Amino acid sequence: MNVEEVFSSKLRMRILKVLAQVGEVNVSEIARRLGVNYQSASKHLQVLEDEDIIQHKMFGRIRLYRLNEHSAKAKAVQNLIEVWKQAQRKNC
Amino acid sequence: MKPYQSVFRDETKLDINYVPYQLPHRDRELRLLNEFFSFALQSPDKMAQRVMITGDVGTGKTVLSQRFGADITREASKRGINLRYVHVNCREYRGSLFLILQHAVSVFHPNFPRRGYSAEELLRILVQVFDEENVYVILTLDEFGSLVEKEGSEAVYKLTRLQETRQNKPQRLSLICVLRNLKEIERLDASTRSTLQTNIISLGKYSRQQLIDILNDRVSLAFKLSTVTEDTVSLTAELAFSENGNARFGIELLWRAGKYADADELGTVLPECVRKAVSSIVPAMRKTDLASLNFHEELFTLGIARLFKESQKSQVSLAEAEQAYAVVCEEFNVQPHSHTQLWKYLQTLSTAGIIDTEVSTVPPRGRSTLICLPRIPARELERELCGLLEKQGA
Repeated sequence: MNVEEVFSSKLRMRILKVLAQVGEVNVSEIARRLGVNYQSASKHLQVLEDEDIIQHKMFGRIRLYRLNEHSAKAKAVQNLIEVWKQAQRKNC
Repeated sequence: MKPYQSVFRDETKLDINYVPYQLPHRDRELRLLNEFFSFALQSPDKMAQRVMITGDVGTGKTVLSQRFGADITREASKRGINLRYVHVNCREYRGSLFLILQHAVSVFHPNFPRRGYSAEELLRILVQVFDEENVYVILTLDEFGSLVEKEGSEAVYKLTRLQETRQNKPQRLSLICVLRNLKEIERLDASTRSTLQTNIISLGKYSRQQLIDILNDRVSLAFKLSTVTEDTVSLTAELAFSENGNARFGIELLWRAGKYADADELGTVLPECVRKAVSSIVPAMRKTDLASLNFHEELFTLGIARLFKESQKSQVSLAEAEQAYAVVCEEFNVQPHSHTQLWKYLQTLSTAGIIDTEVSTVPPRGRSTLICLPRIPARELERELCGLLEKQGA
């Protein structure tokens, strides 16, 4: 998938922001925070995982997602979100 | 004018959650605990341990386990062993195994979902987490009795036998169960009880002198130099001793007394501050107790109250009380009663809980009775008695 395709979705960007903020979280919680249904959250998480930006761990039936610590893409995303946040704070 | 300076240097050292580096009079127990867990620093994967710590309220069970936890974690880290100490108060989690395990999981995964699985699943998840993190855990179940009460044998059995289902795998979970006495686990079935009762550390009630040492230790940490008198510590220790040797009670009392000293801008924590502090937390003086005293008992008590008010001592002798009583009799223009009679009055006052008495045997003077006014501020007692005597037209 091209970079513009991955980041063209507002929902995917919001998922990345949540993960950068809280570390790791399960699908239902992501859906709740974003105000979307489980399937929709699950679908976008799958896209991000296919791109190696995020990864998941299974604990019984619980699936916990987090940014992929071994992925350069994930690091770049984290930097982007951090820089953006700092710039916003300065503007405030 | 110079602004008032608080008596406190660092009042957080009197907080209930503060864990001091030194535990006076618990070093033997701490050493024993370290012995039980010495394997955790040598070959942590080879075994798991279960220890029970028992003792009354304020005997240092919680602080002992927390001090041990902090020490062993630091030592393990130095040796490159991934060991975590997790302290859970079962009562805070309403004795629910599910909530207790959830807390343990949340130490490693803070955003772990709170719903959607059973306690059994959570137990498996916990083991998986430990394996993935390659961590060895000492889980302390404080107020263990509430878990036993809520969940019974089944839950405790599962928790204690967790390792047995993992043959040839690293032993990851050790338990410390903290409870007041072994009666609390009587309702567990025999096999569950037997898995727990192998290593027991019983903490005895602190003596007066031990309480003084503990309080002095905290005074040096929490208060500025020379702001707490020896008599104040001695009175606080006396009160803590009468509360079943409860050191926690004494430490809280000391903090409260410091607050009273600051409120009155005294610059020193006097025994009177302790009396005020204790009367604010214990329903100390019931007016009916005073109203039941006869005229001379009232005069005698008034003498004692004035003696404490003026001397700022924690204890006075019967001889001193007799002299103070004689002065009060002069004031009220009555003939003082005899020593034997006063000794009887002393017993009445002690039974009513207005004063405490203690027999001192300091050589070479032989036995003498010491009077303590632990619960009632002397000033307040004097005011009440004066009011009472006035009403009686004395």
